[in-house]
Amino acid sequence: MPPAIRTAELSKRYGSHTALHGLDLTIEPGTVFGLIGPNGAGKTTTLRLLLDIIRPTTGSARVLGEDPRTGGPALRRRIGFVPGELRLEGRVKGRALLNHFADISGPVAPGAIDGLAERLGLDLTRQVRHLSKGNKQKLGLVQAFMHTPELLVLDEPTSGLDPLVQREFMAMVREARDNGQTVLLSSHVLSEIQQTADVVAVLSQGRIVAEGAVASLRLASIRRVRAGLADTSEDAVRTALAKLTHLRDVEVSTNGDVVRVAATVNGDIDAVVKEIARHRVVDLAVEEPDLEESVLSLYGSATNGEEADRA
Amino acid sequence: MRKPLPVFRRAIADSWRSIIGWTIGVVGVLFMYLPLFPSLGGAEMEQMIASLPEEMVKTLGYEQIGTGAGYTQGTFFGLIGFLLLTIAATSWGSAAIAGAEESGRLELNLAHGVSRVQYALESALAVLVRLLWLGAVATLIVLALNEPSELGLEPAHIVAATAALIGLTMLSAAFALAVGALTGRRSIATAAGAGVAVLGYVFNAIANQSEDAEALRAVSPYSWAYQNTPLIDGADWGGLGLLWGLAVVLVVISALALRRRDITG
Repeated sequence: MPPAIRTAELSKRYGSHTALHGLDLTIEPGTVFGLIGPNGAGKTTTLRLLLDIIRPTTGSARVLGEDPRTGGPALRRRIGFVPGELRLEGRVKGRALLNHFADISGPVAPGAIDGLAERLGLDLTRQVRHLSKGNKQKLGLVQAFMHTPELLVLDEPTSGLDPLVQREFMAMVREARDNGQTVLLSSHVLSEIQQTADVVAVLSQGRIVAEGAVASLRLASIRRVRAGLADTSEDAVRTALAKLTHLRDVEVSTNGDVVRVAATVNGDIDAVVKEIARHRVVDLAVEEPDLEESVLSLYGSATNGEEADRA
Repeated sequence: MRKPLPVFRRAIADSWRSIIGWTIGVVGVLFMYLPLFPSLGGAEMEQMIASLPEEMVKTLGYEQIGTGAGYTQGTFFGLIGFLLLTIAATSWGSAAIAGAEESGRLELNLAHGVSRVQYALESALAVLVRLLWLGAVATLIVLALNEPSELGLEPAHIVAATAALIGLTMLSAAFALAVGALTGRRSIATAAGAGVAVLGYVFNAIANQSEDAEALRAVSPYSWAYQNTPLIDGADWGGLGLLWGLAVVLVVISALALRRRDITG
């Protein structure tokens, strides 16, 4: 089976700014592919190129076996798309707008629109200009999913959605995959990709800096730990933590009776938690670092090196 | 089976409020001005015009204001109707592509199964149909008021004058559409549509003042529409050909420009 998407040396320049540097991407059919990266990494540019909303400066792309440049309306009917910055305005009501898109990109199975709207909790009788950001996003999801396209291209699909709806969305993505559809979604939230995607590519400054099965990426291993420990001293905590060589940015301070610890864990979290647990724990937070931070810390040197090589 | 002309149908469905508004405006203006003609006509009117500066009379095209045709031309077709329809046409023309692009609507629309050329052509058709509707309403009202207001107009000439007015305003719409397709900027598109109308009017007014400036009529769409007085002499096929021909060329340019470039916004 040919790949659902294949790009070769795909580049996009805006004047002197290069948004995308020679992207090579292959997405197998029937998989969920996550594109993650900090804002401005080139995710939206990539997705827009695949939909022929913008055109590449150099390189080529094949989407469902066709060139987006020449595939035209027939190709785009086979794709469902949620734009990164979904803006809907006007007095048109949700249902009328969806019927309009169904006219263009259908056929849509009877009941599909209502089914999706009900699932996401979207009121189709309201004018789109009165919808909240989250409800507009739901409308965006419905118009992308309603005609069960072979390929779903979703740019930051969960932005503005509350956690319950996000969960429903993730179920929809899994069902689409089980149904044989291919899903390409972008996000700057790592956990979202981890929960849905089979394969991930990390984009930074217009380049792929890491690609592979979700579990194989070391991204998951970076955590920021903050804890408050009682009945101990700063020195004791420092000594204990010094044994853990995979800690970085360790900060220890005293605040009243409580010793406050903050550190970045790069790797096994088990030893850190066990070390902390020797003390009376007043509070504990383990956080995912923001993506920018983790991408830069993991792959930043590689990116810079490449940059230097090219220069 | 997909229904035909989805972009066109949505443009019309989305703008029915504005269509009603403009229709009320056109009807109101006609009912305000035309019934006044019998009471203004004759010597009194001639006197009033004679007291105005000659340049002003020529600029406004009021030389023949004492006749029904001159009055209808001077009030509606040449002035208020032209103004109203130019504003409507320019705002529709600039909204269709540039406005949709700036509001982010175009990106989503074009990600669906519609081609760029189809989008541009159906958008132009939607503007044209709205203008034709206003033209048809104007024709019917003028026809209805023709006898009671003692205008003495030939029905065929009313249609000819409306064809000129709609051609003239469609040209502004097509300029706005084409510049919107080229730049994606609504403000520039609006300036282009309105600018063509204003320049055409000014060139025509200057040509009215002096025979030396007669050449300006060659580049004034306003002159193409009205220099051969369709309300008195019937259809000016040359002028109509220029107006409608250029409008068609601009619509084609819109389609090609939109097909070529990146959608931003």
